[in-house]
Amino acid sequence: MPRPMPRTPPRPLHARLDDATVEQVPLRVSDGTELALHRVYRVDDDRPAVLLLHGHTASADMFVLPETRNLVEALLDAGYEPWLLDWRGSCRLPYNEDGTTYTFDDVALYDIPEAVSLVRARIGTRRLFVVAHCLGALSLSMSMAAGLVPGLAGVVAQGVFMTPKVTVPTRFRMHLSFELLRKRVHHLPVDFRKAGFRSKYTPLFALASLGADCPDPTCQMLHNSAWSTGASLFVHDNLHPRTHDRLADLFGTVPLCVLPHLRRVELAHTVVRWNLSDHRYRALPENALDNADRIDCPVLLLSGSENRLWPDANRLCHDVLKARHPRLDVRYVEVPGYGHVDPFIGRGAALDVFGHIIDFLDGRR
Amino acid sequence: MTDSTVDEAGSGPPARGTDRGREAELIERRGGDGSGAADLLARFRERSARDAPPVTGAGSWDLERLAAAIAERAGRFLRGARVDADTDLFDAGATSVDAVELIAVLARELGVRISLDDVFLDGRPRRLAQLWLTREAPAPTAAPPVPPPATPVPAPDDELGWVKADLARADDLPWVEPPETAEPRRILLTGATGFLGGHLLLDLLRRGDAHVVCLVRAADEREGERRLAEALAGYHLPWSAEVARRVTVLPGDVRRPRLGLDEDRWQALAGEVDAIVSVAAAVDFLRGYPSLRQTNVLGPLTLAELATTGPVKPLHHISSIAVFNETGIAAMDEDSPLGRVDRLFTGYDKTKWASEVALRRAREHGLTVTLMRPGGIGGHTRTGAHNPKDLGSGLLSAFSRFRAVPAFRYINVSPVDWVSQVAAAIVYEPSAWGATYNLTGEPNAFQDVLRDMRLGGMNVPVLGWEEWRSAFLAFMEADPVPELEFLVQILRSPTAVKLCEAALLSPAASGRRTEAFVARHGLPAPVRYGARAQLKTYERLAEGGLARLPDKDDPPFLWFHETMRGVLEDTPCELSLRPSIASMYQLARERRLDVTGEVRCALLHPEPLTVEAGDIWVRPLDGIPHRHGLDHPLLRYRLRLRDAAGRRWWLEGLKTARARRDLWRQSRTLAIQVGREGEPAHLAGEVVVPPDSYVRDQIDGIGVNPALPAPEQRLAKLMWLGWFFAQMGWGLLEPSLRAGAELLDLRRDATRTKEIR
Repeated sequence: MPRPMPRTPPRPLHARLDDATVEQVPLRVSDGTELALHRVYRVDDDRPAVLLLHGHTASADMFVLPETRNLVEALLDAGYEPWLLDWRGSCRLPYNEDGTTYTFDDVALYDIPEAVSLVRARIGTRRLFVVAHCLGALSLSMSMAAGLVPGLAGVVAQGVFMTPKVTVPTRFRMHLSFELLRKRVHHLPVDFRKAGFRSKYTPLFALASLGADCPDPTCQMLHNSAWSTGASLFVHDNLHPRTHDRLADLFGTVPLCVLPHLRRVELAHTVVRWNLSDHRYRALPENALDNADRIDCPVLLLSGSENRLWPDANRLCHDVLKARHPRLDVRYVEVPGYGHVDPFIGRGAALDVFGHIIDFLDGRR
Repeated sequence: MTDSTVDEAGSGPPARGTDRGREAELIERRGGDGSGAADLLARFRERSARDAPPVTGAGSWDLERLAAAIAERAGRFLRGARVDADTDLFDAGATSVDAVELIAVLARELGVRISLDDVFLDGRPRRLAQLWLTREAPAPTAAPPVPPPATPVPAPDDELGWVKADLARADDLPWVEPPETAEPRRILLTGATGFLGGHLLLDLLRRGDAHVVCLVRAADEREGERRLAEALAGYHLPWSAEVARRVTVLPGDVRRPRLGLDEDRWQALAGEVDAIVSVAAAVDFLRGYPSLRQTNVLGPLTLAELATTGPVKPLHHISSIAVFNETGIAAMDEDSPLGRVDRLFTGYDKTKWASEVALRRAREHGLTVTLMRPGGIGGHTRTGAHNPKDLGSGLLSAFSRFRAVPAFRYINVSPVDWVSQVAAAIVYEPSAWGATYNLTGEPNAFQDVLRDMRLGGMNVPVLGWEEWRSAFLAFMEADPVPELEFLVQILRSPTAVKLCEAALLSPAASGRRTEAFVARHGLPAPVRYGARAQLKTYERLAEGGLARLPDKDDPPFLWFHETMRGVLEDTPCELSLRPSIASMYQLARERRLDVTGEVRCALLHPEPLTVEAGDIWVRPLDGIPHRHGLDHPLLRYRLRLRDAAGRRWWLEGLKTARARRDLWRQSRTLAIQVGREGEPAHLAGEVVVPPDSYVRDQIDGIGVNPALPAPEQRLAKLMWLGWFFAQMGWGLLEPSLRAGAELLDLRRDATRTKEIR
């Protein structure tokens, strides 16, 4: 059944790309969900394209931060044409807050493959890379294992890819505490101003503030609690002060509808399908890791050494893929001193991280 | 601990001039009987005496001609480096071996006899020529007509005379107004190819938006960029287009007047940069003050001159707590009086003292000079990048090999990442300029170091310094490690030994001003450079051959027996194994045990098969199921076997956790496969630990290295049992947890949220 049109149009991209043109490309995927896709270019030429996938509740804004040297600028200067997809978990779209139900099966089956098809239709025979973060990368791994995005020139997966794992305390909070909450709470906001002081979320913000060094409630929720999971999204000192002040714009509400799928994925330590008996999803394998041999392009697994959300998940992914699928071209790079999301939004990310990404792309362009 | 890790001036790691390990090796090799440099020298002297041309007296040389002749001979050892009369041979890349050979060549070819100490004291051909002429001149009337210098020049071996002369240079600086107090936009950095300088370059780029001009010793910009890139890569620092776009390499030399720049470039540089960061230094505990002063004293003074040229700029100088390296110094606070220069031991300490005192004089001329004094600079806490020729790296490696530590009071050492981060923040913060900071971090007390080692399972006896030194030197003589020869050289040098003694007996350095600064600016507070912080560095030291990690060839740290009985293709089979670990590090890092023992199975051979090598991995690959399902691997065994006939076999075993209630049996049951070496499995079976042997063998029967004191043995058992049971418990519960979670998925609202209002 087609999904309703978004009640509000996507929030405009928060970017300052003075010497580049940002083209909005309409994208409605086949289950009726309207997504946002942007092409950023300086001149129409035959540059390789790079599709950027954000993490859950973030948005394409995380790649175009105006206050720091951002990945889009670096890619443009390095001779690439960035494409920015806001998949349905984006905070620039309304689905996380309007009661829409979805799982990562939908992202893997509809959003990513159809965005890739659309970009391919536009770029013709030019090479196409994908750089993905967190649950964008996790969903991409399912699309790849399903063979829905064949022929990519290379994939960079940051934070997590096929083998999610969290710490034991996070696991308990994520799987048990949220079950207790789910009767009363349907989403977890990060913006205290939006939630209000006398709301049912106040205890969660209070919990997030325990032991926090930073007085900002949004920062506490993300840095000290990661939406009450007890994890942490970034190394605080790595953020530019203006990025820190914009956290409520960069990260949005988590809908709890995704949690059962996430729980199943995390407990299995691999990406598994949620909709087992729904035949609309039969193109997706039951377990992505068992089908990793369908990956047909080089993969760079990136992670900050201080990734407190998915600690060591990409190192583990590298070890597992090397052991079980030795023919895959997989490498792992750990960025010292970076957390989960600051490899993209950190003020020094261009210096410490983007070089790894661009070197990888350059080697395969 | 003295600062021994400040960056070599414009040279990458490892600095050739400090490559003492290689030198020692060469000296020993060339010396033949291993009797060292003295014998080598003696042989050269004999040979030169035999082959010597008719010795020309001092009267037949003038200063310029002799200096040029020495420079020409020295150039032969320096493989293309340009050597003139004022080039310091060590700065140009000469090693101690080159110095030994040079003095032999000078004696043989020129009849000029100078000592090795003379060359270490001051390695410039002009000074060597002057020294020899002064000594050899038969009478004043026969002296060559040397034009009198404009200012009095001290005798080459008059170190304090040189110090006084250098300090006087600070008085030539003009009086200036304070600089503009704004965050710098373009920074000049020296020493960027060194250990601290490289890290500081990246932190300057990360912390603000400034462009950084790096002064690098190179023929041109292209070569300079290559050298910088290689140096950064050597320290696991990034070099990419994104870094390069914010860096300009300026070919120059901190030792030369006006940095070796022509007048236009000097003036342009003075006009374009708005802050100067002086990191370049030559670190060598064997060379004398005159040999090091050009880099370590005149270099900073040239930068002070640049700071006062054109718009006035702040000068941020990396000094060192070596300025306190006097035996018995009372305190090493930021505002404590410095040590007395005549009581400092090495030329290096004296140069750091002189540069700091000269720049304090510059402060009196109005110049804003920030002095930052690191102690020992430890390896990076996350990348493990370290300076392999650093005294601290050497001592840490020595402890790991020699398994004994000398008694000391404190080690004033902090990791390079913290030092560089704080230094960069100070450069960007105008209110912090002009003060003195101790970047020594949290001192590492002796008891804390011992505790770290005990928790890591290292039983380290404590020896007095002199006993430790001689025992270590004997140990190294019996089992030489080329990578640690530089430390042996230092420990054999009387001057450097005094420096070590002073450092080991020094009080804790404190940095209250630094602590206040980091607290005010949200920077990481100084923390002790303990075992966790050092772990990555330690691993890198082991990779580089300096340190040594415990391995299966060492006496095991802990072991127990495990007996398993069952069948292999219906034939009785018994595994009698002895799992062991070499250290707790092995468990924490690899989750792996070493295995020896034997396997009895008539199907393989009537006699027992020996376990040649074996491993057990606990929760391999984080217990991810092999195929989709609820069966999680718990323990994986991989054994290499040899039967009595010499044939080789492999055995692969897997204990598996399942969502069933027979947890006790799961924890004891091993499904095995066996095959011939190089062939696939052709036999399968199952063996089980008999319940009655489990507690007897695997708890009561745990053995611990008897060399450990009894409390440490008990601690080792407890740590092992705690770790192993936690891993097994978690692994056994995992499938059941997943099965339980599936019940939650049946909740009505599992994937449906309500409309938000």
